[in-house]
Amino acid sequence: MYHLLKGLHAHLTRKDEFSVIIIGLDNAGKTTLLEKIKSLYNNVPGLPPDKIGPTVGQNIGKITLPSTILQFWDLGGQRDIRTIWERYYDECHAVAYVVDADDRERLDEGWSVFDNVLSSPKILDVPLLLLANKQDSPSSLSVQEIRESYENWWQRRKAADRSQDDGDVQNGDREERMASLDVMGVSALEGTGIRDAVNWLFIRVQNSRRNTDAQSDL
Amino acid sequence: MGLTISSIFSSLTSLANWGKESDLRILMLGLDSAGKTTILYRLQIGEVVSTIPTIGFNVETVEYKNIKFQVWDLGGQSSIRPYWRCYYANTRAIIYVIDSSDHARLSTSRSELLTLLSEEELKGVPLLIFSNKQDIEGALTSGQVSDALGLVEEKGREWSVRGSCATKGEGLEEGLDWLVNAIQKK
Repeated sequence: MYHLLKGLHAHLTRKDEFSVIIIGLDNAGKTTLLEKIKSLYNNVPGLPPDKIGPTVGQNIGKITLPSTILQFWDLGGQRDIRTIWERYYDECHAVAYVVDADDRERLDEGWSVFDNVLSSPKILDVPLLLLANKQDSPSSLSVQEIRESYENWWQRRKAADRSQDDGDVQNGDREERMASLDVMGVSALEGTGIRDAVNWLFIRVQNSRRNTDAQSDL
Repeated sequence: MGLTISSIFSSLTSLANWGKESDLRILMLGLDSAGKTTILYRLQIGEVVSTIPTIGFNVETVEYKNIKFQVWDLGGQSSIRPYWRCYYANTRAIIYVIDSSDHARLSTSRSELLTLLSEEELKGVPLLIFSNKQDIEGALTSGQVSDALGLVEEKGREWSVRGSCATKGEGLEEGLDWLVNAIQKK
């Protein structure tokens, strides 16, 4: 009887758990973002930004929302460690990709990395949120400018591809993304936009719960 | 349901990924802040969610009366409307959302809609218009909206204007009922 009740209680208070990976170039502010999320939702002070160095490895943070637990994996962004990202693609339910909107010099480098992530077959059906970080800096690009910057980069690359192999213009066609994609401005330092971003992820992972349920029914 | 030979064939040959193949692709368009994302998640999880202006897009599978819709909600701000056309291929129906309390931008909404309807790829595709935000005082009625949009000229497709209030969930199911019917007749 005890076990029955215990099981029932566990079932009723069960929370679905979803994983979100936080990726992007080094110095984009991923760890600062994770620390800010933790301090906003868990009521504990996060690491102060000046104590955060480059991540070689992963940091984990967990927050509890109504009937849902979101687990964040903040992965290192330096060139030689980026190869670990795809090891997480199979298990993640959403991707938060962070760009330093204040670092114009590295935008193009960032877009080619971002484009690789965006077109990775394993996460074509996983929601992806692009976060234009460092909005606290007056010189940072706005959300609109970030989107345009990526579109322009993409057009340039497509044009370059076309001049390389004159033949098939359709060659550059890619598999279509089947999950939500959006851009949002945040300041991981000051916390602006963070709740909107977490909310966006929280709403979009609800769909993957159904997919998992449907699969286990089969 | 009116299965055609080709859809029977495809369901036999591609059982492995039948789920995705059989989803009906629907585009949800309209000016910014018309309520598209709110409608999408009201339909999908049955709740009013807080939204911020969509710059990219949302896509969710909405199951309604055993039919799976794959609904694409595209951002409506003027700078990103030109990207709508990237999504026209294979569309089975259009849901166009209007803020019926926004009298000032009705003509903008009309011209965007007319541009959309003139696209070759969307020829003959059924059009459902949600005249949204009916809870706001001074909102135009469905009749006024259809007059203002000049839809009588649209002879080549089925269309319907429905009043809705996404935050209360009113009018949405009735609209989908119409749409299901219109798609199946095609």
